[in-house]
Amino acid sequence: MQPYSPREELVQRFGVLHRLLHLVVLIGFSGLAVTGLSLAFSDQSWARAFMWVLGGSQNAGSLHRFFAVITYACVVIHLVWFFYYKLVLKGKWKGPHSLLPRMRDFRDMSEHFRFFFARRSTPPAFDKFSYVEKFDYWAFFLGMNTMGLTGLFLWFPEAFTRLLPGYFVNLAQVLHLYEALMAVTLKIVIHVVAVHFRPAVYPADTSIFTGKTTVERMKEEHAGEWERYRASQQESAASGK
Amino acid sequence: MKKAAFLRTVNLNGRRSVLPGVFLIGFVFLFLNATADAPEARQAPDPGSTWFVDMNRYAQSAHTSLACEKCHGTMVKNGREHPDLKDAKKLRDEATRNFDYTRCKSCHKVAYERAQQGAHAKALKEETSGTVPTSDETSGAKKKAPTCGDCHSSHYAPSGLSRLDNGRSMADVCGSCHQAQKISYLENYHGRTAVYLGDEKSAFCTDCHGAHDVISLKQRDTALGVCARCHPRASREFTGFVIHDTLESLPEKELEKQKTLVLIHRVKIIAFVVVTLVLVLFFGHTFLWILRELHEKLRKQ
Repeated sequence: MQPYSPREELVQRFGVLHRLLHLVVLIGFSGLAVTGLSLAFSDQSWARAFMWVLGGSQNAGSLHRFFAVITYACVVIHLVWFFYYKLVLKGKWKGPHSLLPRMRDFRDMSEHFRFFFARRSTPPAFDKFSYVEKFDYWAFFLGMNTMGLTGLFLWFPEAFTRLLPGYFVNLAQVLHLYEALMAVTLKIVIHVVAVHFRPAVYPADTSIFTGKTTVERMKEEHAGEWERYRASQQESAASGK
Repeated sequence: MKKAAFLRTVNLNGRRSVLPGVFLIGFVFLFLNATADAPEARQAPDPGSTWFVDMNRYAQSAHTSLACEKCHGTMVKNGREHPDLKDAKKLRDEATRNFDYTRCKSCHKVAYERAQQGAHAKALKEETSGTVPTSDETSGAKKKAPTCGDCHSSHYAPSGLSRLDNGRSMADVCGSCHQAQKISYLENYHGRTAVYLGDEKSAFCTDCHGAHDVISLKQRDTALGVCARCHPRASREFTGFVIHDTLESLPEKELEKQKTLVLIHRVKIIAFVVVTLVLVLFFGHTFLWILRELHEKLRKQ
């Protein structure tokens, strides 16, 4: 953790709602991972130890469903917020601050790879969300919907097999397991390492929890957003005077 | 002295010294649980084959109150003595194959009668009458339909086992012939929660197939009645869920199940390839990123 120093200039990056959703999703997702993997690897002794802590497979099942509900509730709240933002606040959903993939992201990615191989000295000037962050967002957003669908199938197999063949339960199991393994590795290993443990950031980037980031880091990681932020600050200062 | 030094490292005053203690407790806890809860550890050792009955173990078994003659008759019968020294071949015969199991019936009437109706008894009749070959055509392995004694140890089987202990040993007993079914059952949700996690509400082998009836669940309507015991709202299509996800020992005439299994396995392979590609890509990306930043950081120092 970085020591707080009041001299450091801070920039607001995330609002309360997004920070709260991130926190709930973090708890929900970790809970899903622990309860789910303890079942998937129950032939291993470590998984049985986890199961013992969770109070047996019946309890773990109930907890898994609880975590699934709160995690998916975040997806729903996020969607409600999005429509509120679009329809009531008349916000723009395209543009540099958007999470929608753009051609620039592919350019940024190839430039970033050039940076990896020392073909350029600085990373490209990412906008509000870099291609990595956009991938993280879409992987989670789409993943939670597919995981939710296969999960619902496994939660209510009796109801679903009234409409679909019985072996779809097997398919749902296969997809639920493989996607879980991918999601857990992407989020708990790659997301955490890429966001917090990279040498330039280590030990942690607290901006998603506090909502604030330093100007220093903004210039480094979100140069595009920083430029626009500065321009808007100057504009409002000029109009204010 | 060494002990004192060890104690100092687990001293809770300093923040740094807490960590080894936490890890130590964690590992001890993991180890204890792993050993205490492992189903393998609960299995009784294989009785093996011996000429003699281990009376200490017999004393612990369900049949301990029975005198030998109750099941084995007297030493002289029909004018022949036991052991019959004139018939050396007799001693080489496997006891579990030649024992007169109608004697079990006098105490275990219901179980015996059910077994006579079941698929195991039917297979045994076919085998002894010679209508089916006694060895597998392709592998040459001997197929043997089980007698009572092949599943139940008459001298050593304990009584009053819990549902869990019974169920766990069942996976091994049935699995000794139905290997592929045991493996697929243990990969399935039912087997995992029942055998590995000790959930008594989950289904063991006999909960679906019956103990002595040994029902085949290939007919959808038969299967539905079985599924509905735990899943009362199950429809006929619900029984299409494949529990024994294995192509092994699947009769060729079951084309529908074969097609389904091939589809499931293809989806599995595709899922595996996609997941592997995504993870390799992102692990590589993150690795390169870290390497470059490390390089940059060290250069600035």
